[in-house]
Amino acid sequence: MVTESPKETGRRKAVSWIRDNRVVRSIFRRGYPDNDLDRAAVMFSNFFLHVLPARTHVHSLKPTYTWGLGIISLFLFVILLGTGSLLMFFYVPSTERAYSDMKDLQFVVSYGVVLRNLHRWAAHAMVAVVFLHMCRVFYTASYKAPREFNWVIGVLLWGATLMMSFTGYLLPWDQLAYWAITVGSSIASYPPLVGEYIRTLMLGGDTVGQNALIRFYVMHVIVLPGIMMILMGVHFWRIRKDGGLSRPPAPPAEAARGEAAAFSPHKTYMLVELAEGKTPMVDAQAPEEEVMSWPHTVFRMLVVFVGVVAVLSAVAYFFDAPLEELANPDHPPNPAKAPWYFLGLQEIVSYSALAGGVIVPAAAIIGLMTIPYVDRNPEGQGAWFTSAQGRRITLWSVVAVIPVVLVLTWLNEHYAVRILVPGASQIWVDLLNPGTILIALFAAGSLYTWRRTGSSRMGALALYSYFLTSYLIYTLIGLYFRGANWAWIWPWQATGLH
Amino acid sequence: MSASVDEQTPRRRMLLGLGWVSFLVSLLGPVLANVRFLFPNVVYEGESVLKLDSLEKYLVGSITFFADKKIVLFREKDGFRACTAVCPHLRCVISPFVGAPGASPDILRARCPCHGSTFDGRGQVLGGPAPRGLDFFRVTKSPDGRVVVDTRKVVAPSEHFKL
Ligand code: FES
Repeated sequence: MVTESPKETGRRKAVSWIRDNRVVRSIFRRGYPDNDLDRAAVMFSNFFLHVLPARTHVHSLKPTYTWGLGIISLFLFVILLGTGSLLMFFYVPSTERAYSDMKDLQFVVSYGVVLRNLHRWAAHAMVAVVFLHMCRVFYTASYKAPREFNWVIGVLLWGATLMMSFTGYLLPWDQLAYWAITVGSSIASYPPLVGEYIRTLMLGGDTVGQNALIRFYVMHVIVLPGIMMILMGVHFWRIRKDGGLSRPPAPPAEAARGEAAAFSPHKTYMLVELAEGKTPMVDAQAPEEEVMSWPHTVFRMLVVFVGVVAVLSAVAYFFDAPLEELANPDHPPNPAKAPWYFLGLQEIVSYSALAGGVIVPAAAIIGLMTIPYVDRNPEGQGAWFTSAQGRRITLWSVVAVIPVVLVLTWLNEHYAVRILVPGASQIWVDLLNPGTILIALFAAGSLYTWRRTGSSRMGALALYSYFLTSYLIYTLIGLYFRGANWAWIWPWQATGLH
Repeated sequence: MSASVDEQTPRRRMLLGLGWVSFLVSLLGPVLANVRFLFPNVVYEGESVLKLDSLEKYLVGSITFFADKKIVLFREKDGFRACTAVCPHLRCVISPFVGAPGASPDILRARCPCHGSTFDGRGQVLGGPAPRGLDFFRVTKSPDGRVVVDTRKVVAPSEHFKL
């Protein structure tokens, strides 16, 4: 028998006093989970952990499969809730006070500038990460049955994230905010028939003023976060119900043995697993394909959280969130640019407001939401880009779009409808502009791919890659290649104006 | 009472249907009321009839840009004209008109800083994404001899307020 030194015995006593005293026990019910029974039990008995299964499939933990993008989005949302609630203590949504409150946060309130930076950068990061998460889910074909509807909820969450960012944009009441919202709300007035009503509903009047500020504020701090929390709850719950994260199907050799083979003889199933047929662990064929969620999943999540906080803190410490002069309704800044994630749309809006404000976004959202119902064969689930062919098609779709977009942009600079025919009617401008032409080309390209390969998945891969690439190019053009009066400039010609 | 709805008498089924329909219809009222609630009846956003300086202050051939009132006043030898300074594309404020003093409206140019729409002195779109031209407003004179622009009355770009 190994004898312990008195020092070690003392340490053990101290640890167990902390872990196992009455109060801690009353909170956590069980001791520290140091055996598999307790590790499973902790997932059931802890409110915050019960959304996770007791065991996790090893495939779900592969960093190169998920890149942790979903969980990073969640953590960013939590950080935004925290920093946002704190900022609310110092911010009054009135046109007279809003801007000076921002200045106070920057120069007077202790750590105010850090909190504002954290909030701003976390918001930007969330827009980007949620989008990347959507790309991951798309390219791994994770929207396929039974996860079709969860994909739709994901698209809604992406939309809600953009609306959160857009409504938050007005609150500082600086030049950037004022004109971005003036332009943005005018875009909303372009849908036929309902357009003007939507705009009035958004602004609570006809101009961006006090009514608009309070409406955006209420949307930003109550309505949208509430909607997002509900959607996120459903999103996570459905992941559990749909059998955890997507992964490649079990090897065909086993599946060929018929229905019964779907269950492993090496495992014990709970009644609910058999009744539902598809809980997270049914697909795991052997014990070595799954690990206890405590500690494997929980601590990975903790590490990701710490990483997110660390990176954000560093960024928030070194880079200040921009704040321009006080909003001036008489003079738009030149050029007046939307937030970066809307710059691609703004570029198309600069060709035609109907194309950029209505046709392109409507096509994108309808296309995204219907993808799982059009591309129905289970091909490629859980594998990046489906197959070697899929990888090739994705690559070529990306490569093919670049020259097409650049040529269309060049044509538009020199031979746009109103350059050829000055004062041409609006119908021609709305019909013949790079935005609508691209949509037609994309539809044709993906249908052709579908026909050629005989696979709807390949058509979907092409379509998504077209949209993704063109959107990135337009965002870059809007960011670096547009100067005063939205004229084409080269990045090195950029003036101090922005 | 174990019979399902289908096995019940047609009368009961009809009553049940009626109940559902009236329930859904009764929801409509509150929903519409709440939507209507969000549309304000009165907004306090400044005047729509704008009073400017006295007539003589504006010399023939001058173009005055009122950024705060968002209008442009043309004093030509035929009289006064006034148009909006709000771009019909996405409501940015356009830049002032440029052109030699007294130049014909066809030579005048104004650009919008937001997406580069170009307009001539008749408000017509020459280039860029603006879906229509600039609106022109009725100009009149107040009893005390000042220029008045009524932004609720849109008129043809050629209409002058003659002295
Ligand atoms: S707002 Fe004037 S061109 Fe877009």
